[in-house]
Amino acid sequence: MVVDFLSYSLIPLFSALAIPFIARKNKRLIELLSNVTLLSGLLNLSYILLSYLIKNNYETFTMDVYSFSMIFTIYLVGLSITFFSTHYGIENDTNPTSYYPLILIGVSAMSSIVIAQDIFTLYIFVEALSVVSFALITSDNSHTSIEASIKYFFLTFPASVLIIFGISILLLNHPNLDFSTIKDTSSKFLTIIALSMITVGFLIKSGIVPFHFWTPDVYQGAYSPISALLAGIITKIGGVYAIIKIGILISNSQLNYFISKILLLSGILSVLIGAFLAMIQKDFKRMLAYSSISQMGYIILAVATFTPLGIIAAVFHLINHATFKTVLFLNSACVEKQTGTTNILELKGLEHRMPTTAWTSIIAMMATAGIPPLSGFWSKLLIIVALWKNGNIYYAIIALIASIITLAYFMILQKKVFFGKLPEKFDGVKEAKFQLLIPVVVISGIIIFSGLFFDRVYSYLSRIV
Amino acid sequence: MSIYLLIYFLIIVSAVLSVISKKLINSAIMLAVLSVGVSLLFFTYEAPWAGVFELSVCAGLITVIFISAVSLVKQDDEAFKENRVKYTIFPLILIIFAILSSIFVPDYFSKLSNFSIYLENQNEPVGKFIWLYRGVDIIGQLTLLSASVFVIKHIFKKKKTAEER
Amino acid sequence: MNEIQNLILIPIILPLTAGVLTLMVRERTKYLKEFIAISTTLVSLFSSLTALKYVNSIGDINYECDWLGSFSLMQFRVDQLSAFILLSVSLFSFLISIYSISVKNKGNSKIFYFLLLLTQFQAAGVAVSDNLISMLFFWESMVIVLYLYIYISASTNSTRTTALKAFLINGVSDLALLIGIMILGYISNTFVMSEISKSKLIVSGWATIAYILLLTGTLTKAGAFPFHTWIPDAALNSNAAFMAYIPASIDKLLGIYFLTRITVFLYTLNHTMQLIVMGVGAITIIVAVMMAFIQTDYKRLLSYHAISQTGYMILGVGTLNPIGIAGGLFHMVNNAIYKSCLFMTSGAVERQTDTNNLEKLGGLFSKMPITAICFIISAAAISGIPPLNGFFSKELVYKGSLLTGYTIFFIAAEIGSIFTLASFLKLGHTVFFDKPSSSIENVKEAPLSMLIPMIILCILCIIFGFGAHFPIRHFISPSLISLGYISEELSGFHTDNLFLVALSVILIALTNHIFGYQRTNRAYKASDHIHHAPILKDIYEMAEKGYFDLYEIFKKIFRTFANFLFKIDRVFDSIIDYIPSNSSYKISETFSSVHSGVYSLYMFFIFSFAIIFVIYLGGIKW
Repeated sequence: MVVDFLSYSLIPLFSALAIPFIARKNKRLIELLSNVTLLSGLLNLSYILLSYLIKNNYETFTMDVYSFSMIFTIYLVGLSITFFSTHYGIENDTNPTSYYPLILIGVSAMSSIVIAQDIFTLYIFVEALSVVSFALITSDNSHTSIEASIKYFFLTFPASVLIIFGISILLLNHPNLDFSTIKDTSSKFLTIIALSMITVGFLIKSGIVPFHFWTPDVYQGAYSPISALLAGIITKIGGVYAIIKIGILISNSQLNYFISKILLLSGILSVLIGAFLAMIQKDFKRMLAYSSISQMGYIILAVATFTPLGIIAAVFHLINHATFKTVLFLNSACVEKQTGTTNILELKGLEHRMPTTAWTSIIAMMATAGIPPLSGFWSKLLIIVALWKNGNIYYAIIALIASIITLAYFMILQKKVFFGKLPEKFDGVKEAKFQLLIPVVVISGIIIFSGLFFDRVYSYLSRIV
Repeated sequence: MSIYLLIYFLIIVSAVLSVISKKLINSAIMLAVLSVGVSLLFFTYEAPWAGVFELSVCAGLITVIFISAVSLVKQDDEAFKENRVKYTIFPLILIIFAILSSIFVPDYFSKLSNFSIYLENQNEPVGKFIWLYRGVDIIGQLTLLSASVFVIKHIFKKKKTAEER
Repeated sequence: MNEIQNLILIPIILPLTAGVLTLMVRERTKYLKEFIAISTTLVSLFSSLTALKYVNSIGDINYECDWLGSFSLMQFRVDQLSAFILLSVSLFSFLISIYSISVKNKGNSKIFYFLLLLTQFQAAGVAVSDNLISMLFFWESMVIVLYLYIYISASTNSTRTTALKAFLINGVSDLALLIGIMILGYISNTFVMSEISKSKLIVSGWATIAYILLLTGTLTKAGAFPFHTWIPDAALNSNAAFMAYIPASIDKLLGIYFLTRITVFLYTLNHTMQLIVMGVGAITIIVAVMMAFIQTDYKRLLSYHAISQTGYMILGVGTLNPIGIAGGLFHMVNNAIYKSCLFMTSGAVERQTDTNNLEKLGGLFSKMPITAICFIISAAAISGIPPLNGFFSKELVYKGSLLTGYTIFFIAAEIGSIFTLASFLKLGHTVFFDKPSSSIENVKEAPLSMLIPMIILCILCIIFGFGAHFPIRHFISPSLISLGYISEELSGFHTDNLFLVALSVILIALTNHIFGYQRTNRAYKASDHIHHAPILKDIYEMAEKGYFDLYEIFKKIFRTFANFLFKIDRVFDSIIDYIPSNSSYKISETFSSVHSGVYSLYMFFIFSFAIIFVIYLGGIKW
């Protein structure tokens, strides 16, 4: 474990443990405690990050860049979700005394994942995370959420099987399971076999074709703020993070041809299937789920090249996609709360009544589709350039064409849901509460600024490799 | 050699029985038998500590939890008989799979084991493993335990009575 | 830059900034825009006057400015001819800005004054440019201004059609001008006019093509046959202030200025080319005046006359001897004066009586006396009645054309004079003297803002007529010197054969008019006997339908071609539209039928694919 960041994983854990003792009678104290914990962590991180970004001089930056970016993203999304839940009115649906500690434990588990230095620790915390998410999905006790939770749990346990199997094959080689050991022995056949199995396991966990079947049902059925948490960070840290880490480790291996092929195939299939299926969806959240599959495919495509540019592109797209999906799912939660439905066929002309929601959604959608000067454009560009430079020209072309389809379905969504004439039954719809919009606006601001100041962000990210 | 075969047979039979048994409590007992078999396997592979942990946790603790949970659930007679066909053909498919894999798979694993390094028998005390080499896992266990506590609290909610609503 | 250079920069830069300022003024202010326009043009007028005095006495003014790299320097060089044109342009801007205070249908007045100041900027730029590229920049930007002027005057369909027609004709000819300038610059290795003129080009090979293209461009600007067809349509559809400004004065000034430059300054024409130029001039005179004779709309009649007078200028410049060129230049400025005045009277009459139709107008002399007197003076000037200015300039043109040795041009010019006078007799008789029709009553005199420019112009007519040596000595002769010609005594009464011919022209026209009037007893039908003459009748019908209109012919050809291309495009369009969207929907529907929500199906897929992946990764290909 990297000692620098240990506090980021321990403090939420201790807050979570403290909550039942401190705040048995007072519900407001629970919200205050959880929000303050995450906020202090986020402020600390963003102070460090911004001071380095503004100075643009990274000589004194001794921390691991990848872990640092991931912790920042985790805290950002976690804080957005807790802040959102505070004002969303979760008391009607669930018990705050267990809801907030679960989110805090989730954040702690995720932070521990990204600072782990050997693969078994990673696995333990991934399991902890999946337990936590399994409970959080069922938060509002409705039929769909319980079904979603069961599907999530059962359809991702083969992943655990494969990962443990892979770890045990690793042990045949060397008693140590450190990342550095893996990197040193990465040209041995056993290591490659083990890492491939681990990769397939994590592919199942992140919702890539052909293991993506749980994604739409789970995202649609889960309790709305939790779908934002799930789509925003849990599937990423619990899935794609490890694949990128393995990618960094075996970049220089001679035997990584087969993993590359598998990853390319899965990636391109995800991109295409996600994009095609998202076009005909009639439910807002389900469409967002398919779009998530598509974007994860882009990340996997970038990793599959095993070049430094590809790794940087994958990390950047990971961070970006976390922000996009958080915004979109939180906004869909607002819309659902205000209008009572998530059916695209019924929703129309919402821009008149809910302007902030509409415009932040549009920024996030345009960023996903890859429109300059937002950050999504840069990450997609990096991915396609990495593919092209590596020689996978056809994959690059197909990825490019798929981004047109992405643009198409997002435009359809924007036009249908937000613009147009407001039907009479939505006349009384008001804008969501001001506090619910703060996290969304902040994250949209981050999307815009990291797009505009991309050269700073790139000089920061290029220190990953 | 033969003891291994016996243990494998025990494991497989108890696993199949726990899937196809009609009553839940029978499944729980068969899981306990499964864990006993796995721990016996560990003992024969000269990993006593793994065997001890497996026995105490799986065959002991988990079986207790399962049996108490199952006995709390009321299993009433169902309106529709569930379809037993899939449970009867499941062992048959398993046997076919076993025959097929016995042709292809041992080759695979023997090639795999060619690449392995045989480690010296390390008889270090367990304490060193738990605290020194894998000290970090303490935090992992703490996380998992607290997570499970809150999970139980979260999933099993008190239904609000009419007064509280 | 020193103060002398400021003198030529002021008429260019000041109107531009004032125009932008006008755009920012609110629409509701009553007189602020007019005040800005009038004061700006007045300042430009004074500055160009001072520049002319300086140039005539001391020498040329030069100014250079780097712009877009050394390829297109803004080089301004004011010699006597340019100063003269600059002065005329500023004068007309000033007069029109006073006049248009009272014009009602000029459209959005903020944009109108902006366009007016912009035109002043562009016309001044053309006049002083030495570099062909910078001149082209100013020239071409007038096309847009032209379009906008017509477009904003009304919102009817015909206005838009006319605006488009004007834009297209001028735009295409500007393209020809551009190509011609490029060729010219290429063969002489420089784009600066004063340097090209140091060794004049001979008309041969590429230089011929360049000259023809340049001729096309400048003749369209001046409004000669066959590029004139937008002017009568604009006369119907736009307001009198615009007509008095652009087609009557600015276009002619700039067009003939550039024609003079290319014909005399930059080239030495050979015989054939000179015949072509003079021929175009002669044809313009005849065709336009024949069309003008039969019109029944006040402004349309005047616009045809404007076209015909252009022919005189082209003829004069094409003679290539100093008398003819002097005649052409003098006629240019005279025509601007009396044509503007005539259009101003038409605008005054239109404002007061709300109609342009000659059948309805009549007997306005008693009600609008000042307008009537201005009309009479200008009409007399245009017809070439001594001792007004038109007579002198026409006399110079006649002399020049006779000196070339081809009497046919002289005869064409004289016939043109006859019909000009006849049509103005008809016009004046109808509008001001005949019995009024019942539809106009309670007509008052035009407002003062309209009368002042008219009076100023009439005074100029008289001065330039009676004291014809004044403009010739100060404007025309120096221009000729700058072009390289030495002038002789050009003015004064010469009682020679030409004077007798002029008198006989007046008598013939008068006879014709009285004959026509007696036949039908209505003044506006006085031209009917020519209109319905046997062959001419058919020609007139075809002309009215637009058979001779080059633009209309091109429009028909174009339409068929565009239809054909459209059919081809439909095919491509359906391929691009239909195929991708339908196929992607089919693919999506196929895939989504797999995602049915059935848990066991999902599990089966996950397991099977995981096993397949692991086997592929480890086993099969070794």
